[in-house]
Amino acid sequence: MTATLHRPRDLGTALDLLAGLGDPMVFGGGTAVQILLKQGVLFASDLVDIAGVPGLADLVATPGGLRAGTMVTLRRMETDPLVHDRAPLLAQVYGRVANPRVRNTASVGGNIAHGDYRLDPPTALLVLDARVELSSAAGARHVPIREFFTGFQETTVRSGEMVTAIDVPTQPLGGAAFTKLSSLAANDWPVASAAVLVTAADVGDREIRIGLGALAPTPVYVAVALPATASDDDAVDAALAAVEPLIDPLPDVRGGVAHKRRLGRVAVADATRAAWHDTPHDLRGTPGEEAIDDRRPTFLRRHRRH
Amino acid sequence: MTPIDLVVNGERRSVTVGDDDLLLDVLRGLGHTSVREGCGVGACGACTVLADGHSVSSCLARAVRYDGVALTTADGLPAADDVVEEFVAARAMQCGYCIPGFVLMGHELLAENPDAGAAEIDAHLEGNICRCGTYLEIRTALENAARRRREATRTEKEPA
Amino acid sequence: MTVDPRSSVATAGTEPGGAVGERWTRVDARAKVRGELHHAADEALRPCLDVVVARSTRPHALIESVDAAAAKAVDGVVDVVTGADLHALLGDAIFTGPAFADQPCLAVGKVRYVGEPVAAVIARGQAAARAGAEEVAVGYRELDPVHDVDAAVLGAPFVHDVLRPSIVFGDLAHLRDKRDTNVNYEYTLRHGEPAEPPPGSVTVSHEFWCPPTHHVPIELPFTAAWRIGDRLEILSATQTPSYVRQSVADLLGIPLGSVRVRSAPLGGSFGAKMYDRLEPLAAALAWTRNTAVRLAVTREEAFLLTTRHGCAVTGSMTADADGNIVAADSDVRYDTGAYADVGPRITAKSGMVASGPYRIAQAHVRSRCVYTNKPSAGPFRGFGVPQVTWSHESLVDELARARGEDPAAFRRRNLLREGDVSVVGTPMHSADFVGCLDAVTDALDWDSPLHRPTGRYRRGRGVAVGIKAVLTPTISNAVLQLNQDASATLMISTVDMGQGSDTIMAQIAAEPLGLPEGSVRVVTADTDVTPYDTITAGSRSTYHTGNAVRRAAEAMRDKLVDIAAARFGVPATDVKLTGDGLVSTQTQESASIPELLHGHFGARGTTLTSEAEFRTTWQPYDKETGRSPQVTEHWFAGAAAAQLTVDTMTGRVHVEHLAIAGDVGRAINPAMVEQQLTGAAIMGVGHALFDQIVFDEGQIVNGTLLDYQLPSIHDVPDKVTPIIVENPHRTGPFGAKGVGETTIIPLAPAIANAVRDAIGIRLTRLPLTSERILDALAAQEEQS
Ligand SMILES: Cc1cc2nc3c(=O)[nH]c(=O)nc-3n(C[C@H](O)[C@H](O)[C@H](O)COP(=O)(O)OP(=O)(O)OC[C@H]3O[C@@H](n4cnc5c(N)ncnc54)[C@H](O)[C@@H]3O)c2cc1C
Ligand code: FES
Ligand code: FES
Repeated sequence: MTATLHRPRDLGTALDLLAGLGDPMVFGGGTAVQILLKQGVLFASDLVDIAGVPGLADLVATPGGLRAGTMVTLRRMETDPLVHDRAPLLAQVYGRVANPRVRNTASVGGNIAHGDYRLDPPTALLVLDARVELSSAAGARHVPIREFFTGFQETTVRSGEMVTAIDVPTQPLGGAAFTKLSSLAANDWPVASAAVLVTAADVGDREIRIGLGALAPTPVYVAVALPATASDDDAVDAALAAVEPLIDPLPDVRGGVAHKRRLGRVAVADATRAAWHDTPHDLRGTPGEEAIDDRRPTFLRRHRRH
Repeated sequence: MTPIDLVVNGERRSVTVGDDDLLLDVLRGLGHTSVREGCGVGACGACTVLADGHSVSSCLARAVRYDGVALTTADGLPAADDVVEEFVAARAMQCGYCIPGFVLMGHELLAENPDAGAAEIDAHLEGNICRCGTYLEIRTALENAARRRREATRTEKEPA
Repeated sequence: MTVDPRSSVATAGTEPGGAVGERWTRVDARAKVRGELHHAADEALRPCLDVVVARSTRPHALIESVDAAAAKAVDGVVDVVTGADLHALLGDAIFTGPAFADQPCLAVGKVRYVGEPVAAVIARGQAAARAGAEEVAVGYRELDPVHDVDAAVLGAPFVHDVLRPSIVFGDLAHLRDKRDTNVNYEYTLRHGEPAEPPPGSVTVSHEFWCPPTHHVPIELPFTAAWRIGDRLEILSATQTPSYVRQSVADLLGIPLGSVRVRSAPLGGSFGAKMYDRLEPLAAALAWTRNTAVRLAVTREEAFLLTTRHGCAVTGSMTADADGNIVAADSDVRYDTGAYADVGPRITAKSGMVASGPYRIAQAHVRSRCVYTNKPSAGPFRGFGVPQVTWSHESLVDELARARGEDPAAFRRRNLLREGDVSVVGTPMHSADFVGCLDAVTDALDWDSPLHRPTGRYRRGRGVAVGIKAVLTPTISNAVLQLNQDASATLMISTVDMGQGSDTIMAQIAAEPLGLPEGSVRVVTADTDVTPYDTITAGSRSTYHTGNAVRRAAEAMRDKLVDIAAARFGVPATDVKLTGDGLVSTQTQESASIPELLHGHFGARGTTLTSEAEFRTTWQPYDKETGRSPQVTEHWFAGAAAAQLTVDTMTGRVHVEHLAIAGDVGRAINPAMVEQQLTGAAIMGVGHALFDQIVFDEGQIVNGTLLDYQLPSIHDVPDKVTPIIVENPHRTGPFGAKGVGETTIIPLAPAIANAVRDAIGIRLTRLPLTSERILDALAAQEEQS
């Protein structure tokens, strides 16, 4: 009945277990797994607890950004100076997940592998173009986060595989913002969330990158190019036009399809306006962090309380 | 069944636990009934404990993972604890069932950020539910505790 | 200070005082903060078997078979017991309830809601019991269910074939057998003669809806029971130990004296832990199997134990050309779910106030309690009154607006004053509605112009008033033991669940005796020790139990005076009790309480005991008109005013300032009164904006705290101003009345009225979710 717990002490053993057992499941932070077990909707034969595997909780700087081992906690992503320095948007978004206790326990790998369409962190990982490292007994492969979520509660993780790390490029210069809207109590799961990053583009002057949460069966990503001279309103219009075909919400107790669609548009508009507005005119010259640093308190006020 | 050592409030307790035993149940079994189940899903904070100073929902935590980890429960706080004192002074309790969880969240916050003001306090307490609605008193208690700590550091720094 | 004519006349000397009106710290403050206060499930128990129930997966069905073989095969499972098994042993006594004996602790023959207990799995350990419960296989023959209250009033399908009253409480003694209906109770109020509306009058009418909600006290329900020879002992998280004792004695057919019920400090309740919850099953199993059992439920199961009544109201109100309310009509339907619980009382008591605290020439109320195939609804802070207040305070607001009048001024003109007789026939006393209204509107600076931005955020202000009658008739008893060292032990069956009764009762006991803070200990309810008390609910304890406690303390004072008079050799009229002890005014001779008792008994460590009872009486309401000159012992009066903004893009409401006031007669402990006013208001904010149980075909779809919405610290208004209004009650202890529900009653309409003010839309269905607000804004835009 109850799944057997394994507690491997090295990666090789963990991967062998995943390859060899009947219907194994990785036990990361366990915040999602424990609830699914309690609800009687999890039917794994074995749980492979990877907390004892050395190296999986390392958070390190890389030449192009940072690398978070799968067992790095969400709270560490929220508070670590490295993340604040290299990807402040990411720190901000991790800081908005659930509550501090869940963030202290939940892992970056477990979070994305959970695959829930309402998760917040994927929105930022999408706009930052993160890469997921997947390992199995056969070796490792790397999947862009933009290809990681394949369907409703489905990811690209194959049987015998596990997430071992997420590589996140340094956040490019430009404005960034995250808006999370709930329709019931303030601290509820989102009915719509949007991470927006404005940066230099290959075509056009700028690119508005948008990651959406809770608005479709998976987290979704879209980008749109726009001249730097465009007004805030133009930017919002362009963003809304870009997300329109992607918004495909699931109705539930938090609202019907039309309502979630409506709030999705507000989340995208608000985040785009803030990000566009905060983007310095010359993206090559000005240090972008200035506009982004230390904005969490303002954020709380602006987007949570109303 | 696995034998583990739980270090609860500085005291080492050897226990044998099942792989899926929850930290919540094991601690209650050891008499730490300040740790309570309110939701079982990480959403209320009644089961909060500190593990190496970090808050954890013990209702979602397997005990085997906490072998050798320093745990703090509200009933194990020192007799003269600044956060406890400020909760009492601010009358931050009605039924009191949720309060130990808030006290521990407060400890975690102030250890990380003694300059915490109302906004930071609210952000840190976002996942703790007080159904009696004692939030305003709780916020006051933690504002006062933060002030007390800041004043304590200032006096410490002053030359004798 | 008002004099209590019913209390024993004081001997010489004045009240030593020093306790009532003081902000004493809760007696258990530190223990609560450190989590050292023991709740029911924290008590060390004798070894118990764990019980988990298998629950119905059908809303309405006949039970054809229960196959327990697989469950019994689970390691650790001791046995599986069905409703049929218990029925064979206990007969129809298995059906219990405070109004109708309609609810079995395990379904007998038929299930009536999804989640109803069908079989009890008894096991060594919770995990085994839970695993066993998963394995119980039940065969059903489905019946047509009825989920909607308005469909249920029309006729078949019937949730119950026959109804039998249970006859436990005085105010429900008139219930009769019923069959072929889902309406288990109907209350009618007829006041004044219906007449054509006078010329120039305005009428408003609407359909209102309050959804079912759940109490969600953070402490989960818990009951343990064991048999010792011919006695049954129960430890339970209950607000009603005295009721449980009678109910269990009836269930098992044993004498009252053979049942011992202990409660414990509750981690909140709000009405959830009352009457028959886990106790009947625990008692039946412990008794019939001669064993010790423990029932601890999960949060998900707690949602199935009881709920707040969903309620539909069709209401209308008319004002004449002078702005006086001349007529009010309400048709109220309470959805009580599969079992009546205390629904009939809620239906009557809320029906009485369905037209609000106003002077109204003609009022008509029809209030019905209706069965549906959903979990049973029972008492919830406010006792059904918030649901009718939602209607009358929305209507009054619309009426004022229809007349182009300020909603506060319109209310002020029409509110009941001291001495006025309400539509139900009972006069008003110590219920200062105008004072409460003025207090909250002043706090919001009501008469100053409001800054009203016209962009995305719109601001508005709203106010509402509430009225409720205290449960009458009821009974309270108190036994006070004065210890030789001048500390005291108070025995009452009031349960402290956060309202602070242990502290307040200590203050009341201390006042006549001049005892200092910390010297009076209140014994936790235990029917072997503490005397009968009707219930701890409905904000009745401060007044009722408080009066019993005061009388006991005064009797104690009289005893001390008599003992001192004998010691000093002076008449009793010459002896005074002061903070320092007893003094003869004639001889100046004095003795402290310890000296006096030591001398009296000739020993240290002795105790002196006094006791008192307090009962209220009523005149039952007329069955035709629903009226009575004394339908209640006293009234609660409260008001709320809110200033808020509506984000017209997201539909979110942000409360900037919430002012709440209640007339508490006299605040025994002002700090605790303010906490009750504020706490109830914060709960009310949840009810106004998002707190509700969502059903789909009778099944709860948001019954976990991942989905069920409760106010967090981010949902608290920016500013909350609690205001204590004090108009001493002539028979209250030191003028006091209760306060636990006063501000939840007008809270939702105050917020809705402010939303109306901000965006010009009257919303009639609670809660005011962002979806409802945006839908209404979209409809408004379409119209213009
Ligand atoms: C009360 C509450 C509120 C919440 N609110 C929010 C919210 O507002 N926003 C939000 O984004 N999230 C929210 N969450 C969800 C939370 O983010 C997830 O529970 C958490 O991130 C999961 O991480 P974990 O490490 O605990 O995963 P686990 O529970 O360990 O695992 C989750 C899934 O991922 C798999 N898995 C874990 N690690 C790996 C790996 N390395 N490789 C492959 N598969 C793996 C597991 O097998 C399982 O299927 C909330 C959760 C709770 C309890
Ligand atoms: S019981 Fe663990 S968070 Fe609620
Ligand atoms: S004090 Fe009762 S739940 Fe917080």
